[in-house]
Amino acid sequence: MSNYKKPVPIPSVESKPYWTGLKEGRLLIPKCGECGNFWFPPSLHCPHCNAANFSWEPSSGRGKVFSYVVFHRVYHPAFSEEVPYVVALIELEEGPRLISNLVEIKPDDVQCEMPVSVVFEKIANNMTLPKFRPAPLY
Amino acid sequence: MKQLRDKYAIVGTGKSRLGKVDGVTALGLIEEAVKAALDDAGLKNTDVDGLLIRGPDDIYCLHQLLGARLGVNAAFSSTLDNGGASQIMAVALAAMAIEAGLATTVVCAYGRDTWSRTNRGPNNERRDKREEPNMIPPSQRPVEHGPEFGFFGPVALHGLGARRHMFEYGTTREDFAAIAIAFREHARRNPEATMREPLDLATYMSARMIVDPFGLYDCSLVSDAAGAVVVTSAERARDLKAKPVLIKGFATFNNTKGWFLDDNMVTTAAAECSERAYKFAGVGPADIDCAQIYDCFTYMVLTQLEDYGFCKKGEGGAFVRSGALGLEGVLPTNTSGGQLSEAHVEGMLQIVEGARQLQGIYGPERQVKDAEIALVSGHGGNTICHSTLILGRA
Ligand SMILES: [Zn+2]
Repeated sequence: MSNYKKPVPIPSVESKPYWTGLKEGRLLIPKCGECGNFWFPPSLHCPHCNAANFSWEPSSGRGKVFSYVVFHRVYHPAFSEEVPYVVALIELEEGPRLISNLVEIKPDDVQCEMPVSVVFEKIANNMTLPKFRPAPLY
Repeated sequence: MKQLRDKYAIVGTGKSRLGKVDGVTALGLIEEAVKAALDDAGLKNTDVDGLLIRGPDDIYCLHQLLGARLGVNAAFSSTLDNGGASQIMAVALAAMAIEAGLATTVVCAYGRDTWSRTNRGPNNERRDKREEPNMIPPSQRPVEHGPEFGFFGPVALHGLGARRHMFEYGTTREDFAAIAIAFREHARRNPEATMREPLDLATYMSARMIVDPFGLYDCSLVSDAAGAVVVTSAERARDLKAKPVLIKGFATFNNTKGWFLDDNMVTTAAAECSERAYKFAGVGPADIDCAQIYDCFTYMVLTQLEDYGFCKKGEGGAFVRSGALGLEGVLPTNTSGGQLSEAHVEGMLQIVEGARQLQGIYGPERQVKDAEIALVSGHGGNTICHSTLILGRA
């Protein structure tokens, strides 16, 4: 892992619990204590009702591909061996959408709305990324 | 706002040199465009008392630097920060500032040296190949929820919307091609345009993919270029040199909740923005004689044409393939070649083109016949900000 060359996320004050959760194998997302809304990316107030009262709740990790693109151009040297690779916008069961990669599937086989589930990819001792793989219909 | 309808006017338009301009800065290009716009209007620098400017994001207080070069103490001035929606917003703010008595003659300008700055090596030496594909300064790039997955740049950001539209409505890359080809055809009649080689479907399809579903010809140009317009009252405009173009209406709307939220990737902020602008101007889509649509990517034209009501949502593909965007089509669009083929100045050149079509200054090869009302759109800021300008022949 010491030769990991891709960008390593730099957590913000607001997102720190999210990254800590991933390290422990949980996909935690903010859930509003007033209206029940889940949201992403993390922030200090519920974007639905603006309440400050929220908790970090585990997502089921299930979702679908809302949309996706296939990178052919190399924007960062660490991805030069990966092209063409898929970046997808995942819609979690709980509602929020987040950017990730799809694994265990070829770019040509990806479709919008296909069901996926989270896998955890440890890239460093203190950093784990949420990626997604095709899942059976649930 | 409709009490402002037809009360203010664009009285001068200007462009700098466009494309790959050697030995120039963003500010220098803006100077060129402003000088051209003032000359067009028959105005002097000393007539200007308002400056609304935009340029590269990392230049602090750009309007102050331009004021110094122009020798102007501005009663009203600012550097705008609403992405590609900023330039129409500048025209809107100019009209509002004059209405409020804050200024009388406002220069709205945008310029960039994007080609040059992305084609230079570490010692500022010129390179033929673009070294830096990401135009956002490093200090402003995201550091989580994106780059770790190899998610970089505007091509992918807009591409996610294109893919979703393709999924929901059966839109195809052939539809996107029709847009690129139509604008190239316009550019071929514009001697100032950067890209004037013929473009056909086979060339479009065989070009390299950048971020699928976008290939090379879906992406706007990287340019050194600037544009400027001068705004003053319609009353004062009558005494000036150029034929004035009336500002019939404008609006802004921003889907600031985010591009990834709701159905924002397939129904953009243009939907809400256009309704407001049409109401302001007292017109509807059927009244528009020519359109200058913000074309950062082909798909963004397609979805905006739907959002502006030129066709129904989901029917943009059929609309553009019908030949609608050509000079003889039902909606001649991006008649200078747009950002896909003329130069990318974040919408500024499209305001210039909309105004010039209404002035009727072109020869028959590129003049929209009997053009009375032009619509210009501005879009950007991570694809959530939008602005609309509706112009009328005086
Ligand atoms: Zn809430």
